[in-house]
Amino acid sequence: MMPPDAGVVATDVAWRVGYRWILKNISLTVAAGTVTLLVGGNGSGKTSLLRVLAGLARPAKGSVSCRGGVGFVAHHSMLYDSLTGRENLAFITRLDGGHAPARVDALLKQMGLERAADQRLGTYSRGMTQRLAIARALLSDPGVLLLDEPLTGLDEAAARIVVEVIKRRRQDGHAIIVASHQLVEFMECATDIGFLVSGKLAAWEPVNGRDAGAVMHRLRDLVADG
Amino acid sequence: MVAMRVPSCTGFGIWWQMANGLFSVAGAIAAKDLAVEWRTKTAIVSSLVFAILVLAILYFARDATAVSAFEVAPGVLWVTFTFAGMLGLNRAFLLERENHALDGLRLTSATPSAIFLGKMVGNAVFVGLIELVSLPLFILFYDVPIWNRLPVLMLVVAMATLAFVSVGTLLSAMVVRTRFSEVMLPVLLLPFLVPPIVSAVQVTWRILADRPMAEMTGWLSLLGAFDVVFFMLSIMLFDAIITE
Repeated sequence: MMPPDAGVVATDVAWRVGYRWILKNISLTVAAGTVTLLVGGNGSGKTSLLRVLAGLARPAKGSVSCRGGVGFVAHHSMLYDSLTGRENLAFITRLDGGHAPARVDALLKQMGLERAADQRLGTYSRGMTQRLAIARALLSDPGVLLLDEPLTGLDEAAARIVVEVIKRRRQDGHAIIVASHQLVEFMECATDIGFLVSGKLAAWEPVNGRDAGAVMHRLRDLVADG
Repeated sequence: MVAMRVPSCTGFGIWWQMANGLFSVAGAIAAKDLAVEWRTKTAIVSSLVFAILVLAILYFARDATAVSAFEVAPGVLWVTFTFAGMLGLNRAFLLERENHALDGLRLTSATPSAIFLGKMVGNAVFVGLIELVSLPLFILFYDVPIWNRLPVLMLVVAMATLAFVSVGTLLSAMVVRTRFSEVMLPVLLLPFLVPPIVSAVQVTWRILADRPMAEMTGWLSLLGAFDVVFFMLSIMLFDAIITE
């Protein structure tokens, strides 16, 4: 049973590729109105965990439930190079059973893409593509937002926009999970930190005013403990 | 404008809403695929050039004094349709591999059935377009008298195309994650296509020979059975294929 204020609940989730277990018995609850920073080294299972939570990968064991739909920003934009920015968003809106040009326009403006809206995605820079991918994830106003390295390719101003979006959604009572190596930018808005080590959730702690350096120090300790 | 009103609380109303949603999503996916193809024109140009080349080469390859055009025409027609269409089938999910767009589709509220149907309709339009261009060229090259039986030929083409795109769409989704998807698709698809293509060739031969309809009904029934089985199996298996 999902707690009433929970955005995401995962219970005993395990996921494997072939015979190799990528995620091992992960249980977590992310409350609505919180931002959880998922940290871990390369290959620790951050992306896999987000994919399982998003419903893109089916866990071999355990269960996942998310309240209010999921928006996911992955390594790839999940959009089409031959369509314009506006067409990409309008297409996703249609698949969600709606037709909301005003919402599309508002998101394009929010992400600073209104002038490039009618250019094909193939002509976008990496940062512009990433901003459009974030707009795509926000289209259905999901209760849960999962972001995998959302600041990749973004300049300082664009990164600021993304952090502000996260803050606003947290205030609006959405649950957000961010997997990133760029901790500094997210420390001001994060409420919790999940430490992933070799596919296991080694610790789940409140931020408690820690800075990025302290978080990395804690991660190194957890990795050393195995 | 008068809006169509359907009772929402009845069984029919629910069914209507589900069907409407399914076809709306499928239509959006098919329209997107065709719009992308229209802009890039990568698959359609190569498929059409391939189809014209096959028709021309096979026409000039035969010894006209020993083998009449009529004898080879049914085989030539279906070889052309099958291999030219296959070039297009590969494209359907390669498009979704770009930027991992298939994940984006799965994150929406579109059901796997709607995604499959959309991709299938897109493929059917694509293959249909190739057939529409190839068929007049085939009639021109091989000088076959089919104008009076064109509706029957169109029926066979439509039925064989449905079988072709049903199983082709499913298999192209299956192989798209493999490293050599362009090679893997024909290897997997062609054995499945033997029964419907053989049926289509048999019916086409009888159409060209102006044989009575009664001689074709058996093959047409077989083709219809393949259509139903392939379509139902494909739509049921698609979810398992696109889920990690």
